[in-house]
Amino acid sequence: MKRRRSIRNLSLLALVALLPLLGGAGLAQTLTMAMSAQPDTLDPQVTAATAAFQVSKSIYDTLIEVDQSGVLVPALASSWAVSPDGLTYTFELVEATFHDGTAFSAEDVVATLDRIRSAETASPKVNEFRAIVSVAAQGPRTVVVTLSEPQPALLASLASGWGAILPSEKLAEGHDFGNQPVGTGPFSFASWTRDNAITLDANPDYYGGAPSVDQVVIRFVTDSAVQLQGLLTGEFDIIDTVAAADRPAVETNPALTLVREPSGLVLVAGLNTRRDYLSDVRVRQALNLGVDTAIVMEVAYSSGSQVGTFMEAGSPWYPDSVEPFPYDPEAARALLAEAGVPQGWTLDMVLPQPYEEHILAGQIVQDFLRDLGINAQIRIVEWGVWLSDTYGGPRNFDITVVGHTGKLDPSGRLTGLGDPRTNYTGLDDPKLAGIIATANITPDHAARQALYTEALERIHEQAPFIFFGTPDRVYARQANVEGFWMTPLLDSFDFRDAALE
Amino acid sequence: MPRYLLTQSASFVVTLWAVLTLVFFAVRALPGDAATIMGGLDATEQQVEAMRERIGLARSLPAQYAAYFGGLLQADLGESLRERRPVTTVLLERLPVTLTLAGMAFVLSLLIGLGLGVLAGLRPGGAADRATLLFTTVALAIPEFWFGFLLILLFAVNLGWFPVLGLPPEGLTVGSSWNLILPAVTLAIPRAAQLARLARARVLEERSSDYVRTARSKGLLPNAVGRHIASNALPGVLPLLALELGGLLTGTIVVEQVFGLPGLGLTILGGISARDYPVVQGVTILAVTVYVLVNWLADLAQLVADPRLRAPT
Repeated sequence: MKRRRSIRNLSLLALVALLPLLGGAGLAQTLTMAMSAQPDTLDPQVTAATAAFQVSKSIYDTLIEVDQSGVLVPALASSWAVSPDGLTYTFELVEATFHDGTAFSAEDVVATLDRIRSAETASPKVNEFRAIVSVAAQGPRTVVVTLSEPQPALLASLASGWGAILPSEKLAEGHDFGNQPVGTGPFSFASWTRDNAITLDANPDYYGGAPSVDQVVIRFVTDSAVQLQGLLTGEFDIIDTVAAADRPAVETNPALTLVREPSGLVLVAGLNTRRDYLSDVRVRQALNLGVDTAIVMEVAYSSGSQVGTFMEAGSPWYPDSVEPFPYDPEAARALLAEAGVPQGWTLDMVLPQPYEEHILAGQIVQDFLRDLGINAQIRIVEWGVWLSDTYGGPRNFDITVVGHTGKLDPSGRLTGLGDPRTNYTGLDDPKLAGIIATANITPDHAARQALYTEALERIHEQAPFIFFGTPDRVYARQANVEGFWMTPLLDSFDFRDAALE
Repeated sequence: MPRYLLTQSASFVVTLWAVLTLVFFAVRALPGDAATIMGGLDATEQQVEAMRERIGLARSLPAQYAAYFGGLLQADLGESLRERRPVTTVLLERLPVTLTLAGMAFVLSLLIGLGLGVLAGLRPGGAADRATLLFTTVALAIPEFWFGFLLILLFAVNLGWFPVLGLPPEGLTVGSSWNLILPAVTLAIPRAAQLARLARARVLEERSSDYVRTARSKGLLPNAVGRHIASNALPGVLPLLALELGGLLTGTIVVEQVFGLPGLGLTILGGISARDYPVVQGVTILAVTVYVLVNWLADLAQLVADPRLRAPT
């Protein structure tokens, strides 16, 4: 009751706060967005952080990009052609200008792709470009990329944040792109005060036409409650996180809009298949049957769709043949008994801090496992420890919960599965690894899809994870914000068409 | 005096070296490093190793230790592993926010703490004393993160006097230092409470001393007696004040987190979770220096305030 009244007061306040703005029509328009994470760097070639690419999307352009329906469309490359053997890619380039005034040309593409492939750069994404033998300019507007083996995922890599094109002149100078990014993007970099804000200015010379807002300010606000309060007071136009408990209040507020769309995440409980009992596929299937993942998705992740294999729900690559595991504790108990699992089997469940939703999901799984007579002991570790000790290094865990981010191409998600050295589940399945490796270099789309379908069906059977599902991506904005969208699967912010009505 | 300065400087250098060595190995003892964290879920072992090479983590620990302390001798604090810029630049960018915040909180806690403490001590059992007791009990019991959040709700959300987020996008400016009032109050209240308790105790102690009885019996006005008591009681509070000032720096970590202020507190938190060793070490150097400096100043202030300490021995 009291809460509702205070919100009404707040919207009144927000209106009052907006009045002076209305009077000042013609003033520079600034769009402010609150973001929960912060980029580690704005050099797109030395990071793997989603937060970095969410921001750098506005500063840099890629040769190709994804549109709102997830289809690859031209960007700095107006067109491209792939040779029948899948080994030669020819890109025709548009005319564009970097923020430092230099003209964009084929030389920039060559220098950019040379840098990300060089050992000195130590890019975490270097493997995605490993098939490239040479990148050559044919005149100022044509680039030819030659591969050692077909790599159909190359276009997806070029459309991802790490495919950003940097100016060759600045590259030659050893420019500090991490702190002073320069690209051809719709916004140029103005300033970054760490833990506080990044300010971007509209680029009037953007090759795709100048953006409608004059300035974008991205504020770093870790606390979702503070984000919401800032939205209510009008300090923020868009916030990227809305806690489940706050969603109804946002939905019923006419001044605000709650956006709910599918994300590219696959949420799982990873199982260490090198450990006792978990090495038995029957036990892994039993865990999938014995955990009601619909409850996990609803309670821990607020909503979303269940999956039955390692691919996000709604993906064109998700096989029609694979259903999520049903909740069937009886069948689960039978399988566990068949596998000889003793009552009171104790599992080491490692959950990563500060991901509250994964911790909650782990606690729910713990409850379901208890019903099966399995005792999961929870150990909460900090993210850096999780990466080096659970996910990597000695892989000290029996079961852990994490979300795998969206990838434009299935190879990004699946490569490494089946090889115990390159996947934290330690699943040793050479046949699966072989199918994935073949699919990765199969140029023919239909043949490739058939191979990935086979791989995903096999992952469902092998069950190296308890498959949870794909959550919704939920964010909120003022009702007067139009044209803002987030790139499917990559979650990058796109402010090009954003406007304040 | 020169000998005093010499021994103090030597002890400062030894303290700094000891604390820094401890921190140097402690942050490296945490599992994971900057490369594993930057690599995230997608980087392979070889890629993480290559990144380690690039940012200078592939060297042996003794080599890193020697390089770091060698650099320190030349006033070089190294480069942030995550931000790829000199630690000195990072610290200079953050220092003004924390200093302003701590400075405002210090003045506030001084005014509130000493004021309440002296008032309460002069009339024990009176209304001011009971109010002070209530204030100190409540203020010491409320956790800072919760109190800060209440202030945001009341003054930023409901009344709209302050922005929800601490500082404007351009950071700390003369105009935006007003925004630091709420965080400064949050930081000052528990410290003011501690100060009030000590000041009250010291005043009570003085009240029962012989000179006060004499002053009273010769008919000195209560206000004049109060002035004498206060000026004799306050030097005893100074050492605690120095401790408080040092403690403000750790308090800013919580308060900066609550209000989203880009100061040293958030820097060291981010530095630890990103395993940005040089940044963590840099903040440590600053913190140790401030602690030592403040204690010197407290010693000096006590010399000024208490003539007995100046007497030739």
